[in-house]
Amino acid sequence: MAVQTAPIAVSLPEEVRPNLWQRLTRNYVFRRVIKALATIFVVVTVTFFLIRLMPSNPVEIFIQEQISLYGMSYQEARDQASALFAIDLDAPLGQQYLEYLGNLLQGDLGQSYRSKGTQVVDIIRQFLPWTLFSVGTSLLISFVLGIGLGMLMAYRRETPIDYALSTFASLVSSVPNYLIAIILLVVLGPQLKIINIASMRGSISPGVQPGFTLHFFLDVLYHAAMPIFVYVLTTIGGWMLAMKSSTIATLEEDYVTVARARGLKDGRIMTSYVGRNASLPLFTQLAISIGFVFGGSVLIEGIFVYQGIGQQLIKAINQRDYPVMQGIFLIITVSVIVANLVADLLYSRLDPRIRLGQGETK
Amino acid sequence: MSDLALLVEDLWVEYPARRGVVKAVRGVTFEVHRGETLALIGESGSGKTTLGLALVRLLPKAARIKRGRIMYYRNGTSQDILALNAEELRRFRWQECAMVFQGAQNALNPVLRIEAQFLDTARAHGLSDANAVRERAVELLKMVQLDPQRVLHSFPHELSGGMRQRVLIALGLLLQPQVIILDEPTTALDILTQRSIIEVLRRLRAQLDFSLIFISHDLSLAAELADRVATVYAGAIVEIGSVYDIFERPRHPYTLALTRSVPTVTGDMHPLASIPGSPPDLIAPPLGCAFHPRCPLATDQCKREEPPLERVGKEQMAACWHWREVNP
Ligand SMILES: Nc1ncnc2c1ncn2[C@@H]1O[C@H](COP(=O)(O)OP(=O)(O)OP(=O)(O)O)[C@@H](O)[C@H]1O
Ligand code: SF4
Ligand SMILES: [Mg+2]
Repeated sequence: MAVQTAPIAVSLPEEVRPNLWQRLTRNYVFRRVIKALATIFVVVTVTFFLIRLMPSNPVEIFIQEQISLYGMSYQEARDQASALFAIDLDAPLGQQYLEYLGNLLQGDLGQSYRSKGTQVVDIIRQFLPWTLFSVGTSLLISFVLGIGLGMLMAYRRETPIDYALSTFASLVSSVPNYLIAIILLVVLGPQLKIINIASMRGSISPGVQPGFTLHFFLDVLYHAAMPIFVYVLTTIGGWMLAMKSSTIATLEEDYVTVARARGLKDGRIMTSYVGRNASLPLFTQLAISIGFVFGGSVLIEGIFVYQGIGQQLIKAINQRDYPVMQGIFLIITVSVIVANLVADLLYSRLDPRIRLGQGETK
Repeated sequence: MSDLALLVEDLWVEYPARRGVVKAVRGVTFEVHRGETLALIGESGSGKTTLGLALVRLLPKAARIKRGRIMYYRNGTSQDILALNAEELRRFRWQECAMVFQGAQNALNPVLRIEAQFLDTARAHGLSDANAVRERAVELLKMVQLDPQRVLHSFPHELSGGMRQRVLIALGLLLQPQVIILDEPTTALDILTQRSIIEVLRRLRAQLDFSLIFISHDLSLAAELADRVATVYAGAIVEIGSVYDIFERPRHPYTLALTRSVPTVTGDMHPLASIPGSPPDLIAPPLGCAFHPRCPLATDQCKREEPPLERVGKEQMAACWHWREVNP
């Protein structure tokens, strides 16, 4: 089989070799990271100025409280506030802001104002991992399960299994998560006595040593089970329905028919052709869902008395512990932004059309 | 009969629709010989694509093959395509008969590189030697005038429409199928790209050994490639013969009208003979000869009786009661 013709058709116009800066700014990953950092910066700034400039801002309220509760002088109360919020209240606003940024960079978020001497950073360090664990695990479970079930519904369209799953999905995705949590709490606990809710409180059982042991791992799962179950139950319906409609649309795509014409095996078509393409739009929704579940954790952790950051936030709100509130708000926002970034980068890995300078040009 | 690759006999395909049953293919009979190019020509909606899809059994779920037989021959063995089970059918597709679809701009998986799509096609048919497959792919891509290294490492969206069409043609040849069906391979492309695709096909015809079923509504394109031409009207073949006979001596009024709308070799254009009347309704096709409402030669007989496809020349068949009066 001699080849007589030289390839001619694809000589592209010679591109000018971009310099490092151009390459960086065209790079999707780089741009996304910059965007995330910028968002965090804006959030931090807005938080600062909101708290400092509101007419009845927390600092002012705190000072008034100190005066009325303990009979402090204004100056004493003010010094107290400076220490707790890690802000020098005597400095001009601009300088305060810069110091606040500097403190943030060093991980200094001020001190709790109810339990004196407790650093906000320590509260976050202690409680955030539990929330990250329960929220992350449930997102993963519900995303993967939702994709699987959604594809099943699409492949078995208009069969009893599709009807059953569709009904289930629309039902659970329309009930608010705290309602499901309370129903579970009441029905499974006192009513049916299936589980001992009280023993599931907290994040680990007393006396269990943290470490890489099976016992510890199972105990952690045991305590996180109810929140995870609720998060999964409330988010899985959305994934299932989204994946079902996306799969149905993808099954109509030419490349799926052509894949059949090419004699590919059904399994290969289902995974690499239908599944992969159909799940792409869901990755963009993943970012939104992360924020949702994180926000929901505040209520759910309160209901199940799960020792996560959400419960700490409720506690701080009840006690009007402003430095803690501010710190937790900040860290939740940052977590959501970072999770968004991860979801986006994942998406760009999966969809070649987004990669490297191709996306976001329009 | 030993050089036969494909034999279609009395094939009927229907689509149930809300208004009634669309009879998209009505009693089609033809054969494809080894190494020949057969062009299927007809206006939009005449059932060409449906016929092609039926040959590889990729019709939409709703479609029904009411009647007929499709026989495939290779190396002295024969296969009844309509009787294949799912696994036999999977292996038959692409390995024996590859079909490149109409408007195949979206025919490649957007998330896989071209190379991966060559490899998974080969693997599905039991070729596990990736290097051999890669070599063959490089060879084929060169034949369709693409830069193999660049194309293999590209994603489909990085290629132009014409390049994708060539990739598909190369992919179609990967498993050395005996029959390739190209459904309107140039329709979505601009004139220059069309030309180069036709050139590529001509070269491939000269270099490789395969039979080609070339589906088009453009008779002049067919003339450049085909050995034989079949004209399709209202789901039926109304005339079939060598490309020479079809052009020089069409015996069916519909074929005649089609040839008249084609520029001749001398360069002067005949006025585009737009065939008066509208395309037939395939739910309730006209009684008798389906072409009679638009036919200048129609008689009472044409309105009552359907003309059979009969021999009108040495290797030419036509379905017309009055074929002797066409090009007498
Ligand atoms: N999935 C379908 N359901 C119902 N009717 C269909 C379907 N596909 C095609 N048809 C009908 O069958 C007839 C033949 O269509 P087909 O696509 O085979 O024609 P074609 O000759 O390939 O036309 P074109 O030149 O436009 O590609 C048309 O009347 C069309 O409306
Ligand atoms: S059979 Fe009659 S109507 Fe049909 S093409 Fe021939 S002359 Fe025309
Ligand atoms: Mg068609």
